Amino acid sequence: MPFESGTVNTMAGCGEFSLIDHFNRAVTEQVFRGSPTLVLFGFTHCRVVCPRALARYAGVLGQLADEGWPVRGLYISVDPARDTPEVMRDYLQPYPAFLGLTGTTAQIDQAKAAFRVFARRASDPDEPDGYRVPHTAIAYFLDAQGHCLSHFADALAAEEVLDRMRPLLTTQSGQSGA
Amino acid sequence: MRAAIGLADTLTPQQVGHLRHVENLSLQPANDWSLMKGIGTGQDDFGAYRFQLAYMAYALAITHVHRLPAAPGVFKPIFERLIAKLLLPESWLYWRDVSRGGSIFNAHLSDQYREEWNPVLRDNIMYSAYVQSLTLLYNVLFDDDRYAQPGAISFEHWSYFWGGDGHRFEYDQNTLNEHLYWKMVESGYLGVACEPNCIFQICNQPAILGFRMHDLLTGGDRASEVTRGYEQAWQQFGRIGDNGHYHVMLAEDTHAVRPNVARAPWVDAWCGALMNMWNGDFVRAHYPQQLADLLLHQPDGTLSVRSAPRPPVQGHVVLNDDSDFGWVAAWASEMGDEETLRGLLQHADRHMAPRWRDGGLYYPRNDQAEDADGYRTLVEPMTGNVLLAYARLNVRDGLRGVYEAPWGEDHFDEPAIVAVGSGVDVLQARFDRATQSLRFTVQTRPDRPSTEAWIVLGRIVGRAGWCLLLDDVPVASGDTSTLTCSGPVSLQPIDRGLELHWSGRRVQTMRMIFEHDATAAHTHEIAGRVKVTGSPLSRG
Repeated sequence: MPFESGTVNTMAGCGEFSLIDHFNRAVTEQVFRGSPTLVLFGFTHCRVVCPRALARYAGVLGQLADEGWPVRGLYISVDPARDTPEVMRDYLQPYPAFLGLTGTTAQIDQAKAAFRVFARRASDPDEPDGYRVPHTAIAYFLDAQGHCLSHFADALAAEEVLDRMRPLLTTQSGQSGA
Repeated sequence: MRAAIGLADTLTPQQVGHLRHVENLSLQPANDWSLMKGIGTGQDDFGAYRFQLAYMAYALAITHVHRLPAAPGVFKPIFERLIAKLLLPESWLYWRDVSRGGSIFNAHLSDQYREEWNPVLRDNIMYSAYVQSLTLLYNVLFDDDRYAQPGAISFEHWSYFWGGDGHRFEYDQNTLNEHLYWKMVESGYLGVACEPNCIFQICNQPAILGFRMHDLLTGGDRASEVTRGYEQAWQQFGRIGDNGHYHVMLAEDTHAVRPNVARAPWVDAWCGALMNMWNGDFVRAHYPQQLADLLLHQPDGTLSVRSAPRPPVQGHVVLNDDSDFGWVAAWASEMGDEETLRGLLQHADRHMAPRWRDGGLYYPRNDQAEDADGYRTLVEPMTGNVLLAYARLNVRDGLRGVYEAPWGEDHFDEPAIVAVGSGVDVLQARFDRATQSLRFTVQTRPDRPSTEAWIVLGRIVGRAGWCLLLDDVPVASGDTSTLTCSGPVSLQPIDRGLELHWSGRRVQTMRMIFEHDATAAHTHEIAGRVKVTGSPLSRG
């Protein structure tokens, strides 16, 4: 009998993606191998969740950098229709730790699938262009090989995130030095 | 020394009968589904085997945690057999057909769906969540991680006559939990679909129970993350319609809500009985009015429920075991609504032909809606085998208690009945930490050989002196190196603990008191009064 494994992608963030960064450069997941990354999904017209998350995680990454743990931030758009590389670059200016990534709808869908992210355009007459994009508000922490070490729900405070990331970084450091 | 609990805490004959019936069904050979077949075809309705198996297991969990916490030996083997049956192809093979999504309200989508053999890979939370929650619950209840072993959860099918090379899909409690968690994330926390495109509120609640059990085992926080996300996601739809009743489901593609316009009792009752686990204030706030719309006060003083008629669809009669009556009883039990529960159970006992079989109590299937006097006689196997048992065994917030924290600290270090012969019912088993005593009441079964009347007292290794009292008379004592007992009882050291046999009355209450700082002198004093009158088993 052939064994059909459960084919479970239990660990988000292991998939492939091909996107455009906010400097208009084509990138894949391979580009970001070599150092740990923190990945967020969002859209620049987001009123509450994204600004709050970006501010929180910018602080987290700054703190880790001060402690000698450089972690790259990636912010992947779920709104390809509006989030051009230029829009992303302007939007992320207050958060220099984050590099914005966008692409075509198909490219974004592939990235969403890679991270098992939910995002769906929803009509809202109160929003510019009449829609918003509710999305998964999870931060994915990837090691230098692109494996997802952990993920953090939006409700976690910065200190809680730091408490979880530090031991993972220490372990990773120990492994790479071994 | 005063007993920690009174006789009122012992199981009633009806409760014991329900447990026996569950045990009897669990003992049926593989693919013997006697008494469990409902009116539906192909295991794709709400009376399917998977639901009966799962809610039998939940009923066991509730009973173990709240009524017989010191008797894992009663429940563990039954739980294992129920899980084994849940993994049988007969329980999940319907998915091969249902996955194709040909429901009448999915006609526009059916071309996009394909036959799927793996019963947990996509959608089908109406099955996968029960496998996930039961295996994790088993680990929590019994401190046994057998389903955490790689491949411990296996869905396997091969037929000599059809199906090609066969299929096998392997998981364990953690990979399955992880898979369902990410499915929940991908859904935006609205929930995972049952049938394609159909997100039922009800069927995502067991997954939340599973997440919680996983959190208890791992120290994680998935359940609160998911429930918080679930609350936010459903805000735009509301969980309840304009008529005050829970929405049935949501279409995944259009996000169109299907409200419970007809006020079908099973929708409210099933949802409320489960959602009370994590959202009790909300459930309780709506319970009185929802119930008032569903309940029937009858001339004979009993209570019944007002089922919603199922209109024909495309000329077809929908045959479905809705189990309205059973679900309302289960819901009332979780709410601690004793008056309603009493009225419903009185109706069941009077109008639903309770039957005893091999020591077990159940209400046999009856497809007739009502009798000549208009009293409800309809009994689905889900109601008659499972839900009325669940209701009678439950306590207020029973499932909620399992969800929140089934055991206190050190539970698995406390002495307990860890195995039970087939000739015994355990009516009471509770360890009292303050007095360091295990109080238990056992009943021999007249329909079983006397050689099967035994229990094993376990988790006593490492404890110092103890003595056993029968009717408050010391009959045995021991410590790490000696064992002395008298006429009415015999104790045999075995790997798992002490195997206890006894003679005398059919129902016996005993107490095993363990030495601790506050009682050492007292325990020694009692132990000194053990009279060696028979042929004691002394192990020096």
